[in-house]
Amino acid sequence: MPSQQGKKTLHIESSGQLCIYCGACVGICPLNCIYLDETRITFDERICTRCEICVKACPVGAIEIG
Amino acid sequence: MPKNLTTDVLVIGAGPAGSMTAKWAAKKGANVLMIEKRQEIGSPVRCGEGMSKDWFSEVGIKAGRWINVEVEGARIYSPSEKLLEINEKHAGNEVGYVVERDGFDKALAIDAANAGVDVKLKTAATAILKENGKVVGVRAKEFGEPFEIRAPVTIGADGFESQIGRWAGLPTNIALRDMDSCLQYRMTNVDCDVRYCDFYLGKVAPGGYVWIFPKEEGLANVGIGVQVSQIRNPAEARTYLDAWIKNHPAYAKGKTIDVVGGGVSISPPIKQAAADGIMLVGDAARMIDPLTGGGIANGCIAGKICGEVAAEAAAAGTPTKEFFQRYEKGWRARLEEKLYRNWLAKEKLCSLSDETFDKIFDALEGVKLEKLTVHNILKAVHTKYPEVTREFESFL
Ligand SMILES: Cc1cc2nc3c(=O)[nH]c(=O)nc-3n(C[C@H](O)[C@H](O)[C@H](O)COP(=O)(O)OP(=O)(O)OC[C@H]3O[C@@H](n4cnc5c(N)ncnc54)[C@H](O)[C@@H]3O)c2cc1C
Ligand code: SF4
Ligand code: SF4
Repeated sequence: MPSQQGKKTLHIESSGQLCIYCGACVGICPLNCIYLDETRITFDERICTRCEICVKACPVGAIEIG
Repeated sequence: MPKNLTTDVLVIGAGPAGSMTAKWAAKKGANVLMIEKRQEIGSPVRCGEGMSKDWFSEVGIKAGRWINVEVEGARIYSPSEKLLEINEKHAGNEVGYVVERDGFDKALAIDAANAGVDVKLKTAATAILKENGKVVGVRAKEFGEPFEIRAPVTIGADGFESQIGRWAGLPTNIALRDMDSCLQYRMTNVDCDVRYCDFYLGKVAPGGYVWIFPKEEGLANVGIGVQVSQIRNPAEARTYLDAWIKNHPAYAKGKTIDVVGGGVSISPPIKQAAADGIMLVGDAARMIDPLTGGGIANGCIAGKICGEVAAEAAAAGTPTKEFFQRYEKGWRARLEEKLYRNWLAKEKLCSLSDETFDKIFDALEGVKLEKLTVHNILKAVHTKYPEVTREFESFL
């Protein structure tokens, strides 16, 4: 579902059901806009360009853009 | 609120590279503070836990209780599972260990503490402090409480997920083809051979490999790395690993007791690892060997050099980019050429078809290889399939 700015939404399933807090997405994000605190992932909505690189890098498929 | 702090050398991240840097800076007389955002050093483990050991004496590591097994060599399998066995021990070479990485990281942190390093856990760097374009420390949170740490020398040893370098404006972004997305299961009830680390190449793991690193009889780390540029669908690392396991009865019957993931850079050496007030080391400086994906040794080797230069700079009061050329020269002299050559080799290997891989293995059949180097392999292949090695001419 597009958000107000017309951007797609990015969702990181980081409640522990999927995400294993491995940091792969953090290291590859070209805009350095994902943050990992032991078991909490956040990303900066304003900076993210929805380039989908993190979606590929995530080994378990915890990131969705739609 | 925690009090603001000052120190000579501030190390961010207590992985192997950070602990090694901190230790050598303290040994050279600097006041050193090492901060780590986790609550436990070394845990959770993000590693296959395999390492060579011929570099231990160089950085002052003594073998400890963190060793699981000492392996004799490696077995490498082609896509059609032709086997190349390299028994380095028989050839009299130093081989390596499969270790408890959390124990290893803690042992290195203890060495650092014993050298006088202060350590703070649950303390994350959240931003870089800059004055007149120079890094002068970081903003941090200790148990969630914000404070500042000022230091003439700040060191980013914050691993693959490093943000310190990027905050400081250093060129550490990596291309998709220069990263592997990794997943590993620690599996019990498997038929592994504790004498060997096993590697499976080809389309089972595009742009990477499947690894089996044995920890004891019946227990092994079974993992995969897949080049991100070759990933088409979400969760592909997991899909490939599950498929490989399913096709290998010795592992399909196993039970997983731990899941580990992570990113591994397989990039050429970065152009700049230091700026005014700051140096990067280990995975944060993309020092992982791009061919093997191993980063512990390089992080420690560069860490020693980094720590010594950090202490010298703090003592001289000259934490400048120019002064840090001592570090740049030191780590590059020790690691750069191999990193670059292995990156070229990786680029080549990633482009090979399963058929070519099989040809190479076919050529190697019956050849006694005593040490696994790109050079040795190519020389052996050259006699039987010169056309395959033509593409690799620059390595020979
Ligand atoms: C699945 C997998 C398998 C691997 N297998 C092997 C192997 O078998 N052999 C091998 O040699 N290498 C292997 N590697 C690579 C190896 O793990 C790394 O090269 C090694 O850990 C690098 O050490 P480091 O000290 O640079 O970084 P790390 O060990 O990643 O340490 C960085 C530390 O910094 C902390 N940190 C990060 N950000 C902050 C912050 N803002 N504030 C405070 N602290 C912070 C982190 O919590 C972490 O503890 C593997 C990697 C992966 C992902
Ligand atoms: S979509 Fe791109 S910019 Fe957004 S968080 Fe993922 S990698 Fe970063
Ligand atoms: S790459 Fe995936 S599993 Fe790893 S931290 Fe990011 S969202 Fe979580």
